[in-house]
Amino acid sequence: MINLFRTAFLVIIILLANCTVANAETDKSPEENRVDLIGKVLDKYYLDFAPLGKVELPRIIYDEEGLHFFRSTTHAINSQRGFTDAAFLDSGQIPTGHVKPVSYELARTNGTEIKMDLSITNHLFFFWLAAFVTMGIFIPLSGKYRQGIGRTSEPKGGFQNLFETFVIFIRDDIAKSNIGEKYEKFTPYLLTVFFFILFMNLFGLMPWGVSSTADITVTAVLALFTFFFTQAYASKDHWQHIFWFPGVPTPIKFILLPVELIGLFTKPFSLCIRLFANMASGKILIFALLGLIFIFDGLFGAVVAYGTSWLWIALTLFVYLIKAFIAFIQAYVFTILSALFIGMAVEEHHHEEHAH
Amino acid sequence: MELGYLAAGLGAGIVSLGAGLGIGMIGKAAMEGTARQPEAANDIRTSMLISAAFIEGVALFGQVICIVLALA
Repeated sequence: MINLFRTAFLVIIILLANCTVANAETDKSPEENRVDLIGKVLDKYYLDFAPLGKVELPRIIYDEEGLHFFRSTTHAINSQRGFTDAAFLDSGQIPTGHVKPVSYELARTNGTEIKMDLSITNHLFFFWLAAFVTMGIFIPLSGKYRQGIGRTSEPKGGFQNLFETFVIFIRDDIAKSNIGEKYEKFTPYLLTVFFFILFMNLFGLMPWGVSSTADITVTAVLALFTFFFTQAYASKDHWQHIFWFPGVPTPIKFILLPVELIGLFTKPFSLCIRLFANMASGKILIFALLGLIFIFDGLFGAVVAYGTSWLWIALTLFVYLIKAFIAFIQAYVFTILSALFIGMAVEEHHHEEHAH
Repeated sequence: MELGYLAAGLGAGIVSLGAGLGIGMIGKAAMEGTARQPEAANDIRTSMLISAAFIEGVALFGQVICIVLALA
């Protein structure tokens, strides 16, 4: 009986869809329905509170005349200080009066080049927010331990208990097991990096939130921190293994030198790309799945789009849950790989010359 | 039609194939290891995640190139 209903339902949908296709073809072009997937991942000069509106962020522009500060893009365009939207310049006509920005890219009206755009973007905003949340949680928490709560007595309250679990996990399972004896020096860095990345990732799951780790500049800076940290504390053996690999014949040493040098730089590069690609792809995937509704609307008509939308919404929910999982996993992976690289660099080998 | 899109799509598929095979093999080995020695489950899980992350890293290099191909 249920099967019969299901078949009838499908047949009706397909029949209705055929009717609507004829209408759809005339008034909709595929170009109009196009969703800019990559554009959703790029950073913007405003916080998007759709459908409520946008909050524009301050613009800082550096050019030949020095630094220019504006409280928003709209203010920059209407300030009569020689700035306009790049889209107006491209179209050739600069509108007068109070105008709203279109592309949010600023350009000089006299044609001189903008040397540097130091504007605050939404990725940077959430980057700072994550930093403040990290500090706001852990500075009071460390004060508690300084008073002795948690060290001489039991940790107090769910909050402290929750974060103590994480901190001990990172100290024991990540720092101690991968770095070895010298783990105490590196645990603060690993803890900071873990919670900072975790909060940045989790902001991407909140409504109107953006995960700043979906920006390659953020992950590149984080990977550079790990890189410099690793090199700064590297042992003599680490450098010896790169420039003059011990225990192998001399010709092999010259072959191993470029290999080890490349390996030195692929480590931070892969850290950076891994985190960025994971977070950005999750975002693109959600938009792509929701976009299927509109693609179906364009291809088969509104009825099929409505009829199948539950499927795409269910899939989006699934991807969202995966993203929540990935947010933790990627923070963990970044931290454990940082610990691994640091551990490899600070380790002191006690090998004899003929051991290899 | 631009062939870049075709290349990007095919590339993304092949990269996923390789990464899926690799991570599948890691998962298989880890499960076998855990079944034989359940007390080592935690160590095995950690090394499994690390190796999976390395494979994923290579796969993501490929995916980034695919995105570049699609955008260029």
